[in-house]
Amino acid sequence: MKQALIATTVALAAALAAASALASATVGQPAPAFTAADTAGKTVSLADFKGKHVVLEWVNPGCPFVVKHYSSSNMQGTQKEAAAKGVVWLAINSTAPEATDFKAPAAMAQWMQGQKAAATATLMDADGKVGKAYGARTTPHMYIINPAGTLVYAGAIDSKPTSSAADIASATNHVKVALAESLAGKPVSTATTKPYGCSVKYSSGA
Amino acid sequence: MRSVLFAALAAPLLAMAQGVSAPAAVVTTPQVRAELVAHAPQGLIAGQAIWLGLKITHQPHWHTYWKNPGDSGLPTTLAWTLPTGTSAGEIEWPAPQRLPIGPLMNYGYEGTLLLPVALTLPAGFAADALEVKLRAEWLVCKDVCIPEGGDFVLTLPAQAATTGHAAAFEAARAAAPRALSEARATVEVKDDALQVRIDGLPASWQGQTLRFFPETAGVIQNAAPLQARWQGSQWQATVLLDPQRSASPTLMPVVLRLPAEQGSVVVAATVQGSWPALPAPAPLPSLDAANIEGSAPAAAAVSLPWALLLALAGGALLNLMPCVFPVLSLKMLAVAGQGADRRALLAGGLAYTAGVVLSFLALAGLLLALRAGGEQLGWGFQLQSPAVVAVLAALFMLIGLNLAGLFELGSVLPSSWMAARARHPVVDSLLTGVLAVAVASPCTAPFMGASLGLAVTLPTGQALAVFAALGLGMALPYLAATAWPPLARALPRPGVWMLHFRTVMAFPMFATVVWLVWVLGQQTGIDGAGALLGLLLVLAFAAWALGSPTLGPRARGGFGMAAAALLALALVWAVPLLRHEAAPATSAAVSERWQPWSPQRVALAHAEGRMVFVDFTAAWCVTCQINKRTLNDSAVLAEFDARRVLLLRADWTRRDATIAAELTRLGRSGVPVYAFYPPGAAGPYVLSEILSAAEIRAALSATAL
Repeated sequence: MKQALIATTVALAAALAAASALASATVGQPAPAFTAADTAGKTVSLADFKGKHVVLEWVNPGCPFVVKHYSSSNMQGTQKEAAAKGVVWLAINSTAPEATDFKAPAAMAQWMQGQKAAATATLMDADGKVGKAYGARTTPHMYIINPAGTLVYAGAIDSKPTSSAADIASATNHVKVALAESLAGKPVSTATTKPYGCSVKYSSGA
Repeated sequence: MRSVLFAALAAPLLAMAQGVSAPAAVVTTPQVRAELVAHAPQGLIAGQAIWLGLKITHQPHWHTYWKNPGDSGLPTTLAWTLPTGTSAGEIEWPAPQRLPIGPLMNYGYEGTLLLPVALTLPAGFAADALEVKLRAEWLVCKDVCIPEGGDFVLTLPAQAATTGHAAAFEAARAAAPRALSEARATVEVKDDALQVRIDGLPASWQGQTLRFFPETAGVIQNAAPLQARWQGSQWQATVLLDPQRSASPTLMPVVLRLPAEQGSVVVAATVQGSWPALPAPAPLPSLDAANIEGSAPAAAAVSLPWALLLALAGGALLNLMPCVFPVLSLKMLAVAGQGADRRALLAGGLAYTAGVVLSFLALAGLLLALRAGGEQLGWGFQLQSPAVVAVLAALFMLIGLNLAGLFELGSVLPSSWMAARARHPVVDSLLTGVLAVAVASPCTAPFMGASLGLAVTLPTGQALAVFAALGLGMALPYLAATAWPPLARALPRPGVWMLHFRTVMAFPMFATVVWLVWVLGQQTGIDGAGALLGLLLVLAFAAWALGSPTLGPRARGGFGMAAAALLALALVWAVPLLRHEAAPATSAAVSERWQPWSPQRVALAHAEGRMVFVDFTAAWCVTCQINKRTLNDSAVLAEFDARRVLLLRADWTRRDATIAAELTRLGRSGVPVYAFYPPGAAGPYVLSEILSAAEIRAALSATAL
C-alpha cells in the first residue's frame, strides 16, 4: 500500500515536472495554435494565416549560430524566397527577460531591420509559451506548417551543424527543400532533422 | 665519452622541454584554456599506439559538450594533420554530466576535461620526432554560447618518454565508460517510449540510481525525468521518445553512470520492435482536375469573395428545404395579406434578417468556440446528440400539427404573450428569424455538411463572414418581399386556398420528423426510436388537449390534466432510452465490402501494399446517402476489386473523437469526405463532396500502384 502511494507520488511529481517541460508538437499532427505580440505590440495568431504555408523561425541575435545564417544572408535569402511564394514567415524570440542576451521589442525590430530580414512578423515570446508548445530547443529551430494547419517540418535550417558560415554553401537548406515539396503538394521527404544552435533561453518563471 | 656527456646533458634538457609545452600547443580564451597533450611512456615505437589528447580547462560555469550534446550545443571536434601512415582514432569521451538549462537538457563537461585519442604509428616509423597538428573546435557556453577553435602543434620525441600529463590521462581513462562485454541490453520501442532492459551490470551497482546517457542524438526527450527501477539484477527504464525524433537507429549505445564519479559503463543496446514511421503529413487535395471540378466550395484554395457568394446562394436555396419552406411561405403570405404600411413591413423584414443572421453567427460562434476549446466537433455536431435530435423532432412535430390545424398558438399561449406579439411586431419578426434558423440548421448539415465543415476550418473572421452570408441568403427572399411591394403584390390574393396550403405544408414538416426519427434510430437503436415515437404521440395529444380551438374550457381542463400526466410518464420512460447505444449500431453500414474504419485497419492494409478508400459518412447527411448510390455502382465496385482496394466506412452519426481528429488531419470538419490512402509515403488524397463514377476512376488510375 505504502509502495503504491510512493509510486503514485513519484509518478505525479514526474508528470508535473514533465508538464513544465516542453510540450509535444509532432510532425504530421495539427500545429499548436498560438497568439503572441509582434515587436510593434500587435497581436498575431497562427489562425490568422489559415490557408497559407507558415514558417516559424526561432531567433536570438545573441547566438553565434543565428549570426552565422544572418551575416551570410542565408536566412534572409530563405525568407525572401519563401515570401515570393506567398509563404508567411514568423520569426519568434523566446529569450527570457532575465537572460543576458535579451532584446526588448524595439531593439529586436531594429536588429531585424538592420539585417534586412524579410520575415512577415517578428514575435516576442518572452514567457516562452509558444516555444514550449512547439518544443523549440535551439536558435535557430525551424518549423513549417501547411495550409491545412498540419506541422510538416521540424528541425534544423540546414544539414551542416557548425558555427562557420563557410559551411552554408555546401549544406542542404532543409527549409527550402521542404517548402518546395509542400507547395507542390508532395509529402516532405525529410520531415524531421536534429536542430542545432544555442539553447533557447527560456524564462524560469513559466 | 663525448656522446655520453651529450646524452647526459641532453636528457634533462629534453625532459625540461616536455615539462614546458611549446607555446603553439596551448590556446587560451577568456572561457577556456585548451592544450594539446600527449602520453608516450615508451617514446615512439613503430607500429605501436600512443595517446594524444586535448585538455580543456573551463572557467567556472562554462561548459563544452559530449558526443551527444543533448537538446542544443555541438560536440568538440578534432581534426588532425598527421604524417603519412599515422592514424588517429576516435575521441574516447569521458562520461558526461547533465547540464540542465531551463526546460532543456544538455550533456557535457565543466571544470577540467581531457579528450584522449589513440594515435597508431606506422610499421616503418623511424623518425626522431613526430609533429602533430590539430585543428580543434568547441562550443563553450554559460548562458551565451561562443564557438571557439584553435590550431595546435606538438612535436614528440621518438626516443624520450612523454609522461608530463600521465595523471590527467589516467584520470581520463578512469572517467571513460567501461565497455561491459558481459552485459546484455535491449531497447524496445513501445508507443511513445523506449523500454530499456539491461542485464549484466556490476553487482555493486544494484539498487543504485544510475544516470542514463544515450550516445545517439535525436531519439529521446533529454529533459524528461527518467523512470528507472531495478528488477533483481536487471536495470529497467522507461524513456520518452522525442516527438520530433530525427533518428531511428538499430543499435543504441548507452552510457550508464553511478553518482559522484564512482564509475560508468557503456552498453550497446539492440533495438527491438520497429520505430513508428515518422508520419507523412497529409498534403492538400492534389488530384488536380478530378478534384477541383465538383468541389468549388470545398477546395481549400477558394477565395473569400467567391466563398461568400456561394454561401449567399446556398442560403437562398435553404428556403426550398422542407424544413424552412413552410415557415417562409407562410411569412410571405402574411406579407401579401398586410396593408400598405410599408415602413412597418420593411422594419419587420429587416428584423427577420437580423434574427436569421445573428442566429447563424451564434451557432457558428458556438461551434468555433467549442473547437477552440479542444472539442472534436464538426458541422453537423448538433445532430450527433440524440437529445438534440429528439428535441428537434418534437419541435417539427409541433409545427406540423399547428399547420395541420390540430391546435392554435393563440389557444395555447397566454393571451398576454399573444398581445405582446401583436404589439411588438419587430421583436416578433426577429424571433421568427431565430426560429427559422432553428428549423433550418438540421437541414444544412445534410446538404452542406462538407462545405460548412470547410468554412469552420477558416480563420475565425472568415468563417463567421461565410455564415453571415449564409444567413443573409436565407433571409433574402423575405427581405425582398417586404422591401419591394410589387413583389408582394405578385403573390396571389388571400383566399380559402390559404387554409389548404397551410395544411399541405404540414406534411413536409412530418417528413422531416420521419427522417429525424430514423437518425435517432441509428444513434440509439430501435428502442430509442420507439421511445421518441411514443413521446411524439403524447405530445400531439397534449397539443390538442391544450390548444384545440374547438374544446370548451372544462373539456380543456380535463383533457389537459390527462395529457400532462401522460406527458410526464412518457418523459420518464423515454428520456433514459434516448442515449447512444453502447454497441455501435452500424450494422446497416457494414456489409462484406465495407468494413468499419480504424487507423489500425489502414496501417494493416498498407503493410500488405493495399490502397485504402475511406468513406466518411453520417446517417443525418443526405449528400452522403446520395453519394452512396455512386459508391454502390457495379462498375465502380469492379474497379475497386480489380485494384484490391480496401473499402472502409467511418460512420460519424454519433460523436467520435478519432474520426473527428482524422477529418481535421484531412483539413475538413464536416461530412461527407471521401479519401484515398495509398500505401507508401504519399499522403491521403481527398475527393470532392459530390462523387461521380468518373472521378473515382480517374483517382484510381492517378494513384495506380
